[in-house]
Amino acid sequence: MPASPSIRVREVSRRFGHRWVVRKVSLDIVPGEAVMLIGGNGAGKTTLLRVLAGLLKPSKGTIELTGTVGMVAHHTMMYDALTARENLAFFARLHGVPRDEWLDHLLELLGLSHVAHERIGTFSRGMLQRLAIARSLLHRPDVLLLDEPLSGLDDAAAQVVLQVIQELKSRGASLVIATHQLVELVSVAERVGIMVQGALVALEPIEGRDAAAVVARYRELVTHAA
Amino acid sequence: MPRSTTASVAFAVAAKDLKVELRTKTAFVSSLVFAVLVLAVLYFARDKTTVGDFDLAPGALWVTFTFAGMLGLNRAFLLERENRALDGLRLTPASATGIFLGKVMGNLVFLGVVELVSLPLFILFYDVPIWSQLPILVAVIAMATVGFVAVGTLLSAMVVRTRFSEVMLPVLLLPFLVPPIVSAVQLTWRILALRPLSELTGWLSLLGSFDIIFFTLSLMLFEAILVE
Repeated sequence: MPASPSIRVREVSRRFGHRWVVRKVSLDIVPGEAVMLIGGNGAGKTTLLRVLAGLLKPSKGTIELTGTVGMVAHHTMMYDALTARENLAFFARLHGVPRDEWLDHLLELLGLSHVAHERIGTFSRGMLQRLAIARSLLHRPDVLLLDEPLSGLDDAAAQVVLQVIQELKSRGASLVIATHQLVELVSVAERVGIMVQGALVALEPIEGRDAAAVVARYRELVTHAA
Repeated sequence: MPRSTTASVAFAVAAKDLKVELRTKTAFVSSLVFAVLVLAVLYFARDKTTVGDFDLAPGALWVTFTFAGMLGLNRAFLLERENRALDGLRLTPASATGIFLGKVMGNLVFLGVVELVSLPLFILFYDVPIWSQLPILVAVIAMATVGFVAVGTLLSAMVVRTRFSEVMLPVLLLPFLVPPIVSAVQLTWRILALRPLSELTGWLSLLGSFDIIFFTLSLMLFEAILVE
């Protein structure tokens, strides 16, 4: 019997004013599965992730999420005047999770131990991205929504993030990853969703972990939509 | 999975806000400079032979507290706009009640410190018999500050996503502040004039009612305001 989905999205649309940014998106994601969302700028990927996270209400449609949700977005969602550790400790407290050892582990895992006591206002883009990923993992989420998770990361840090994604999947977490970096992330996703003008025009398995085939399919669909 | 309680969220949010303010000191310094400036300008602008200390002091005190406090309230949610930290709060299971109470606590401490520093300056500038009346005056200041902060925190959250939020907050907040500020000015004048307690009860009731009604309303409406 197939596992019941931990993310169930039905006919979800979202508009800003008169403009529909997400149009009738439906998808199911089962535990341990990662779905990669690709699409051009303004295709609606970020808005869809924000709707899934509960940060935006859908204008139409329904969303059912099982378990806790974590999110990495374009912004760090943290405070420049606090140190890396203080930021994580603050959000850990709001999540009600025990702090000390787990925070140290996350900082170590993402290579931030040496700057744990520095204010994040001084951090580079890559360091902020790693810290944002640490924040999203604080409460061991069952559903993780990642918007350009490898943005600003060097190769070593990107490998760590890919490893973290694999570990999350192996313990049954579901992931939705919006990205333009197909080559790196194609290795961790089971399916790819292609968004064009707010609509999910295709949701297909990734065969052979072939980024070139995914890109070719995307271009075909964009040309068709135009 | 352990969950955060309303109290733990409130204390965490308040402690975080105060820690950020202690590090940056932006709102505190601007509020304090503003308070000193207003007290001094009002003191030196008058003709002492026609406008006595009793006539000017209550108004000067509350104009100072109100506008200095406004600078602090503006900061309370601008802080959450930085790096979209408010989204970070909303992604946690922290209750809206906890976040609101934390913000209120942080703002109360902030405004309390501004008032604590401004009050000696007020005593310095204005020759009014304050020492014997200090406990009741402090109680009135505390009551007015609670109402002011409760409504201000709610409206600060409401305007933070708008453009020109620094301008919008006073425009929306000042009409709500008429009852508590008028009550506070009337009470301060009567306290400094050593009027009997019976003359205070009506204004105290108004101030107390404002606190209870608007604190409760703000608490109830805050969750709706957090949702985008």
